[in-house]
Amino acid sequence: MTVNMKKKLSESILDKFSIDFLRSQVLKNAYGNDDTVIAKLDPRVLLAWYLVVGLVPWFVSDLWFLGACFLLVLVTTKLARVAGLVLALFAVGVFSQTGYLFIVALFFGGDVSTAAPLLVMTLKVATCSLASVTVFSGLDPDRLSNGLMWYGCPERLSFSISYAYRVLPMLMEEFQNILLSYRLRGNPPAHETWTGKVRYLVYQVKIIMQAFYPLMLNTAKRSRTTVEALEIKGYRYAAVDKQVKRMKLRTLQVTTNDFLFLALSLLWISLAMLGSALF
Amino acid sequence: MDLAKKQAATQSQKLMVFVLTMALYGLATLFTELIPKFQVGIVEFSVEYFLFIPLTLAMLFDPLSAALGAATGELVFSEIMLGQFGGLGELEKFLTVTIGVYVAGRLVRDPKNRAMVGVAAIVGTGLQLAMGAVVDICKVQFAVEDFEAVAGLPESVFATEGFAFANDLLFSGILFCMLPTMYLVPKLYGKIEPLLGMRPRDGQTSLGGLSPKMILACVIGFVAAVASALIADGGLPLIDWEADWAESGAAFSIGMVVAAALAVAAILVIKIKARSGESVEQKA
Repeated sequence: MTVNMKKKLSESILDKFSIDFLRSQVLKNAYGNDDTVIAKLDPRVLLAWYLVVGLVPWFVSDLWFLGACFLLVLVTTKLARVAGLVLALFAVGVFSQTGYLFIVALFFGGDVSTAAPLLVMTLKVATCSLASVTVFSGLDPDRLSNGLMWYGCPERLSFSISYAYRVLPMLMEEFQNILLSYRLRGNPPAHETWTGKVRYLVYQVKIIMQAFYPLMLNTAKRSRTTVEALEIKGYRYAAVDKQVKRMKLRTLQVTTNDFLFLALSLLWISLAMLGSALF
Repeated sequence: MDLAKKQAATQSQKLMVFVLTMALYGLATLFTELIPKFQVGIVEFSVEYFLFIPLTLAMLFDPLSAALGAATGELVFSEIMLGQFGGLGELEKFLTVTIGVYVAGRLVRDPKNRAMVGVAAIVGTGLQLAMGAVVDICKVQFAVEDFEAVAGLPESVFATEGFAFANDLLFSGILFCMLPTMYLVPKLYGKIEPLLGMRPRDGQTSLGGLSPKMILACVIGFVAAVASALIADGGLPLIDWEADWAESGAAFSIGMVVAAALAVAAILVIKIKARSGESVEQKA
């Protein structure tokens, strides 16, 4: 029975990891939630908020404060309606950063006392990564790159963000097509026996590597087209021109909602500080 | 004629290389972020490194653009897009990837020489991995208070990091960086350059090997990477926040709570007023 269950489990996990699923999750994460409370906030305000919530917990070891910060970012993540895949990755990431260290420390003769400093560290890591999940998944890419640009990030970076979100679905599709054509023409080794399975795995990995050869050539052509199109529009001059930047950033507007968000966060954090001072 | 003399590519060609590397390596890192790692005993078989992509491109084109493109691609696709942006800590990865790829790209004078390509690929990968391991050890050493006092922790950190480095270099480094690069570089040489409107790299157009200036720049970059990683992890408590409100005590906190509550109330009043004003306007 357990074997059966294991088989089912691995099948359902494999189902989840098809390229189509990934594509839809990434797209959903990028464009699927621009009607949330978080997405409507001004990107500049949200980035400033992230700078505080994502940085300050590193310098504080007060448990009240850390707990309050964690709850705050938990609520904002919920409000931002982040895609499930991203949250799963977050959980794995937090564990792999600190959880495994705890297990290895136990292995080397540590005991439960090892857990206390690591627990605080885990709380810090979790708070900071959830804050970044809120900001970077909650905002849609164009607003995010505009916000970053306002803070003086290089134009290259904001261009890369906008470009990446647009080109990724295409690239994924192309990669999948190449893989499928390799599979159509290829003759995979039989994989009933154990050695056959290993050979099959090696074969798969080899195909993935080889698929990058046509992909590189295709992408080279595409990136030349992209850059030439950008050049026609005078991209390299516009990127450093102050007037163009001002025109681009004119759409950003701070509203009362932004102030309310900041004030509520401040209220919550100061309540936590009061709690730690009193008890 | 003039073009042949010039070592470097034109600005727009550099941008092309940047975009190309960013898109390809970004896609690859996105996959690695999502592909589950499978572990056999303590040895981890992960497709951790698609580093062969930027390595290949850095050997064929302008190394600096390819290196920066790779680092940016990783940052944008796998960190920002998946909401895993780690703030200042990302600077460390950005710099180590840039240095590793750039050095490997500079080492290759003749892309048709398979041995040269293979050595450069493994040197670049090893450099990147070694820098990552050093940064990681420093990070844990400074981040956890009383590092030495916690039983079993120092040994475990050195053991895991050292083992991870050796494992990554021997497994991922050879299988996923060196071999694919050795396969791809000679195959792509002379085919991919015309697509970007460039001359293939040869003895004349190569940038030359390592120079002291470049090594100095790399060392500075590495120091910056360590510093950023440490600051990001709060190894150096730049600001002693705890003392701030512990001394002034409850009065200070109450003041803050009152101020924040007042701010919330004021903003709410403004909002309600604005809304009622709107509805009055609509009625009128």
